Formats: sequence, structure tokens, C-alpha cells
Amino acid sequence: MALSRRNTELLFLVIAGAVSTMAYVSVYAGRYREINRVSLIYGLIFVAIFIVLHLVVRLVLPQADPYLLPVTALLAAVGLTEIFRIKPALALTQGQWLLVGAGLFVLTVLVVRDHMKLDRYRYLIGAVGLTLLVVTIALGTTVNGSKLWIHAFGFSIQPSEFAKLAIVVFLAGYLDDKKVLLSVPTHHVLGVPLPAAKYFGPLLVMWVMSLAMLVFMKDFGMALLFMSIFVGLMYMATSRIVYVALGGGLFAAAAAIAVVIVPHVNERFTVWLNPWPHASTSGYQLLQSLFTIADGGILGAGFGRGYLLYVNHQPVVPELQTDFIFSAIANEMGLVGAVGIILLFLLFTWRGFRIAVWAPDGFSKLLAAGLAMAFGLQTFIILGGVTRLIPLTGITLPFVSYGGSSITANLMLVALLLMVSHRTNVVREGTDLERRRLAERG
Amino acid sequence: MNKAISRVFIIGVVLFMALVINLTWIMAVRANWFSDRPQNKLALAKEMKIERGNILGFDGSTIAGSVSRSGYYYRDYPQGTLAPQLIGYDSLRYGRTGIEAAMNDYLTGQSTNLGVQSWVDKLLGRRPQGASVKLTLVPAVQKAAQKALSGQRGAIIALDPKTGALIAAASAPTYDPANLDDQWARLSADGNAPLLSRSTQGLYVPGSAFKVVTAAGGLDYGKVTPRTPFVDTGTYVVFGGKVTNYGGEVFGPNDFTTALTLSINTTFGKVGNLLQRKRLVATMQRFGFYQTPPLPLPAGEVVPSGRYGAKGILPPDAFMDPLAVAWAAVGQEKLLATPLQMALVAAGVANGGVVMKPYYAQQVIAPSGTVVQRAQPQQWKVAMKPAVAAQLNTMMQRVVTAGTGTSAALQGIQVAGKTGTAEKGDGTNLAWFIAFAPANDPKIAIAVVIEGTQSTGGEAAAPLAAEVIKTALAQTALP
Repeated sequence: MALSRRNTELLFLVIAGAVSTMAYVSVYAGRYREINRVSLIYGLIFVAIFIVLHLVVRLVLPQADPYLLPVTALLAAVGLTEIFRIKPALALTQGQWLLVGAGLFVLTVLVVRDHMKLDRYRYLIGAVGLTLLVVTIALGTTVNGSKLWIHAFGFSIQPSEFAKLAIVVFLAGYLDDKKVLLSVPTHHVLGVPLPAAKYFGPLLVMWVMSLAMLVFMKDFGMALLFMSIFVGLMYMATSRIVYVALGGGLFAAAAAIAVVIVPHVNERFTVWLNPWPHASTSGYQLLQSLFTIADGGILGAGFGRGYLLYVNHQPVVPELQTDFIFSAIANEMGLVGAVGIILLFLLFTWRGFRIAVWAPDGFSKLLAAGLAMAFGLQTFIILGGVTRLIPLTGITLPFVSYGGSSITANLMLVALLLMVSHRTNVVREGTDLERRRLAERG
Repeated sequence: MNKAISRVFIIGVVLFMALVINLTWIMAVRANWFSDRPQNKLALAKEMKIERGNILGFDGSTIAGSVSRSGYYYRDYPQGTLAPQLIGYDSLRYGRTGIEAAMNDYLTGQSTNLGVQSWVDKLLGRRPQGASVKLTLVPAVQKAAQKALSGQRGAIIALDPKTGALIAAASAPTYDPANLDDQWARLSADGNAPLLSRSTQGLYVPGSAFKVVTAAGGLDYGKVTPRTPFVDTGTYVVFGGKVTNYGGEVFGPNDFTTALTLSINTTFGKVGNLLQRKRLVATMQRFGFYQTPPLPLPAGEVVPSGRYGAKGILPPDAFMDPLAVAWAAVGQEKLLATPLQMALVAAGVANGGVVMKPYYAQQVIAPSGTVVQRAQPQQWKVAMKPAVAAQLNTMMQRVVTAGTGTSAALQGIQVAGKTGTAEKGDGTNLAWFIAFAPANDPKIAIAVVIEGTQSTGGEAAAPLAAEVIKTALAQTALP
């Protein structure tokens, strides 16, 4: 007999919980040379958080996708374990942020219940997203050359992580509305059929915004992420490749300008092309990251057993616990483990796109696809950065990196995807009762 | 819409695959390349966390030890400056050389030959502990060699002719390995090259010391016997040129034994042309010339001896006219040899014509105390028949009893040797002495070279060889 979606989820959560507890105990044993109750209690608290999330989903979104939450739990566990490994004090903070994120997840599920509601407030949500970015540019603090942070009430938050969600919600609604107009050409330029000029307005707004992010936030990664979300959603809404070509060209132009006029972006670009002459200066971090990754070999030294800290307790790569957490994981888990982590991210992204393909309406499709794309692309940008596939940027690895904004925003992203998949499954194959309940939510 | 969504996902899959391929490249294909980069602070620091194995002398005393300072291990040298050019340095800043580099996998415990314990450590993720390397180098003899060289430029290298075990390898001027990092700028800029391992890297004109090789060839090919008569007129005219004697001396009638005893150039020039180019070069090759002696040191720290041109060593079959052959037979022309190679020449005669493979590692001792590797003396070359070696042995004893090398004579110990004096254009000499002792049961073969002296090999080098031989034979244990 096939398991129900929620029992499948529970089964995988239990497996994820067991694996995480083992990893955590391994690190704890490596550090304190003993296994005691404290190490197990932290593991149990972690499992309990995800059991609560599971129960909320079971109650409110019983037909939602069963794989997203276990994958999230596993990634979060790997992240927490590795942070504890590098800086034990930070693991407690990160655990508290996980708790806050779980709270926001529950709040999102209980308050929104059905994502279709969000479409009604699309302009408000879009405005909030834009405001978050503008506020960051105006009031942000520069960390490691990039201006992605706001310090307020004793907290440091990265508003772009939340802006990312808001912009996807807004664009999904807006583009679903305007997709017909955007796909009908009204005139031709050099033989290329183009829609009416006024519909290019939003494209230009997004382009200016990404240029502003490059120049003022000095961050190539965030700008690339936002521009790609926009271009990708335009393409998925209209199926017209001309937007990809136009958007790609515009972004390339913006990036070229930034490389010339923004020293921080220029430095990152130069180091990416050839880090060796800058081995003790601007290329130090990237090269140390590559050395740390290469040191992992095929199987790695094991959790808690790699060489990640110098004798003075400084990590071998600066910012190892945030942007470079993957380098630490690759070092301790080896090629096999690192590829496993990449496949977990790919599994998550695939579930997101699958939800989009199955969704019954345009808004749901674009919302799920946009969120999945944002998630997958953010993963690619930071993993490509620390492995020198693309220029390095200060972006976090979802669920794994140290950082409250990242884990909170990405847990909300999971909540949204679960809502879309619940609605899809109810509309497609649900019972009459489930459909009636869904209709009542709207 | 679904088609476009699927396409975007496929692009995503392609990007993720690119990540996996790139990661495989870094972590599997190029992992060792990254680990060997000098910029790799991680790899160096990681090895410095390992308690590096000691380098011990043959008497068991520590030459290079390991001390812990704030979590890292550093080298210390309880006996001060002892063969630093051979032992090499182990510096976080300047890397590794010499035995430190050659035996690094043992010293850091990373070798797979260290027995079961190292595998267990690896499986449990424990930090490995370095194995100790016990050398054949005898500290007392090494100290005597360094003392003999002090204040001069040159090298002394001594080995056991029966096994090939290295007993001493001194190079002067020298340096204190404990202060390498602080002194680096001065040491690396010094024109007298204190960092150079002269005994294995220094290339010198061998001069008359090379006559032992020519003699071995002449006797072994049956071109001469110890009694073959020659007449010296002070010059040997050949191929439009001439070979003359050191200091313009004229010896008159002589036999081949006298020619070696008094180092008569004209006779050896004639023997060279009796042999001809082919057989002279073949004799050299049977002593190991034209090959890098198999002393296991990093590339470039042991160099081959032979005829050298502007671009390095010439091939053995390079053309030589009879005048060139005659001068080569007396150790001049384009010949260059390392002290190690010349010591191997003496060792070959001492060991009945068999040249043993030179080595320096007596034992590798795992952290548990068990010996995991022991030296296995191996034959390297057969230079001549045993009977010829016996004849040459007797002839070389004459050099010390009644010839140019009398200052190497020792009370109660019969030394066999050969002097060499190569005149340099600047009015200074290169003084050589190669020897072995005791002649009837050789326990040590030695080569001494002194740069920039006004004296001859018999005056400047032979007494130093005697001093080192005396110290060596006074030891209770030699390798």
C-alpha cells in the first residue's frame, strides 16, 4: 500500500533526523572527545522543530509535496552541524534563528493558508519588496565590500533575502495578468517582432534596479539573481525567447559597466580570472577556499575531522561559516558528500519546478517556478563562486549558511511552495470535501 | 507555459552538472596539484600540526628534532650545524630541501609503508605521527669533516665502500639551520653559496684524481700493466697539441705505477690514447659518470658527472679528438665531477671493482618504535675486474707511502689515495684527494676538495682526508 503524502514526509523526516543527529554527535565527539546527553538533546530539539512543522502541514496542507520539508531539514542540519564545528557559539544563534524561521513558516501557513490570496495584494507586496531594496541601498552597512546588511534593534538583517520572495510574488501575478499583451508583437525592430513599448517599462525598471544593486550594493550575485528571476519569469510567462536575449544583453552591459566603475566588483572579477598573482591579498579567500575543497578528496576526513581551524581557532577560509560553508562541507564530506549536497539542492529545485508544471493556473505556475528558480539560482551562484566557476559574490547558501535572514526567508519560501502544491493536488485529485475547504479559504 | 518552465529547469540541471564536474576536477583530478601549491597555507599548516619524525645520526643521537610551540611543531637542532646542506631545511616560508623533502612522507607519517597503526590512524581520522629516520651519517665523523673544512671553501664526503652507506657529507661555507628564516636574505645572496650542497651538487674539474679512472680502464682493457715502461720528456705531442706536467717537471723513464705515484701527465695522456675515446668513456660510465648517482634526494640536489659543454652535460658519444682524449685522461678538458662521484671512484677500487649504490637511510622507525624499513645495500656498477682493483689498490698505496699523497699517511693505518691539483685561470688551485682505508680491508672511502687554495692536493686536501679517516676508524661502529 502506498504511503500517504504526509506519512512519506514523516518517514523521510525521521531518516533526515537520524542522519543529522549522527552527524552532530560525530562533531561533538570530535570536539569534546565524549558523547553525552547535551549532544543528544540538541539533536532532539532540532528533530522536534521539524516534527512541529510536519504537524502544521499535516493539519493545514495535507496534500502538499512530501519531499521539500525533509530536504530542508537535512540541509539545515548539515549547516547547523558545520557551523557548530567551526564556531560553536554561532550554532546556538543559528538554532534560535531556525526557531524564528519555523515560527514564520507556521505563521505564513496559518495566515495565508492559500497563496491565491496573495495575488490580490500583489502591488502592495511588490512595493514592500522594492522598498526593502531601496532601504538597504540607503541605510545599509557594508560587510566584506558588499552593502547587503541593515543593522537595526541589535540585529543584522539582509533584506534582499525577503525582497527576493516579494518580487517573485509580485512578478508572478503581474506577468500572469499581462502575459498575452507581452507576447503579441505590435511592431518590428530590425526584423525582430516586439510588443508595445509601454510593456517594456517593468523590464527597464528591473534593469535599473539591478544596475543600482551592482553600483550601490556592490554585489554582482544579488544583481544577477534579481535580473535572472525577472528575465526567467518573463520567458516562462510569454514563452518568448526575445526577452531572454534582451534581458541577458542588458545585464551583460550593466555588469560590464560595474566592472569598470565599481572597484569591489572589478576586484572580484580580476581575482576570478586569475587568483594566483593575488594569493596573499584579494585572491586569498578564493584560493584558500579551493585548497580547502581540494583537501577533502574523494571521501573527506569526516564530520568534525577535517582541518578547518588553525591553532589560533581562526578558520582556514575567512567567512567559512557563511558564504564559504560549502568549502567546509566539501572538506569534511569529500567529493561524495559534496555532490550529495548538490543533488539535495537539485532535488529541492526539481520538486519546485514539478509543482509549477502541475499547477492548474498561471499565477500558481509562475509563483512556484519563480521560487524554485530563485532557490536553484542562488545555490548555483554561491557554489559556482566558491569553486571559481563564476566570480565570487557575497550570497548565502540556502538553509546551510550561517545567517538569520537566509534561513528565515527560505523557510517562508518552502511554505509558499507547499501551499501551491497542496492546492494543485486538491484541484487535480482531491476529494469534494477538500475542494470545498479550499474554496472557503479564498 | 509548461514547455518554457521545463526548459528553464533543464538549464538549471545543466548548471548543476557544471558544478559537479568542476568539483570533481578540483577534488579528484587536481587534488594533489592543489595540495602542492606553495600558496596553500592549509596544507603546510596541516603538516605542521603533525609531530614531525626525528632525523637521527648513526649513533642514535638526534640531528633534527621536533618541538611544539603553540600547537605547531618546529624543527630544532640539538647538535647545532650538522650537515645542513644534506639534511635540508623544513621551513613554513621557504619549503623543504634535502632529506627533509626526500623523506617527507615518512617524517610526516603519511607514507603507506608505516605499518598497520598508520592505517588504523587514518581510518579513525587521527592525526598521524611522523616516523623517525635513522641515517648512516656518523655525527662524530661529520663533525671532524666540518672542522677540517672550517674557514675554507670545499667539500668532504665519505662512504662505506662495501655498502655505499654515507658516513659524512660536509660542505663549506655552511649555515645554521635553526636561523634559516631570519638569515634567508643573506644566505641566498651570498656569493660563496652556503646553501649549496657541494658534495653532491658541486661540479669541479677532477684533475689528477681522475687518473684512477684512466688507470682502471688501461689495466682492465689490458692496454697497460703496473710495470709497463714509459719515457717522459716533459711534453706529449699529440694531434697538433701537447700534454705537459704540473709545474713543468720532467720525469724521464718511468713505469705505470710510478706514473700514478708521481702523477705524470704525459704517461696518462698516452694511456688515454691507448684506450681511445670509446673505451675511456665506457670506463667512466662503469664508475657511474654520465648518470645521476642514485642517492635519493630531490631532483637537482644530486647531479651527474661527465664532460660538460655550455648547455650542460654532453652525451657520452660526443666527438673528442686525440688531444682532447689525452687531456681528459689526466682529468682536465671538459671534465667536471662531484665529490660524491669521486668518492664512488675510490670506493669502487676499495670494494674489488664493485661500486655500491650510495644511500643515507639506515632505518625508518615508526612512532611505535618498530623498524619498518631497513637499508638493503645494493650493487650499482662493476667498474673493473677484482684482480685489476687489487693492482690499483697497491698502486694507490704507493701514492701515500712514496708519492704526492704522503701527508695522508697515518700511524698504523695503510691509506690508499690519489691527489689532484687543477689550476684555475685566476692563479688559485682546486685541491683534490680521494682515498680509502685501511687498504687491506677498506672501511671508508673519501673525497676531499678545497677551492681557491695556493697549495696542491697533496698539501691542502690529503691531510684533511687523513684527519677524517682517523676519526672514522676510531669509531666503535660504522655503517
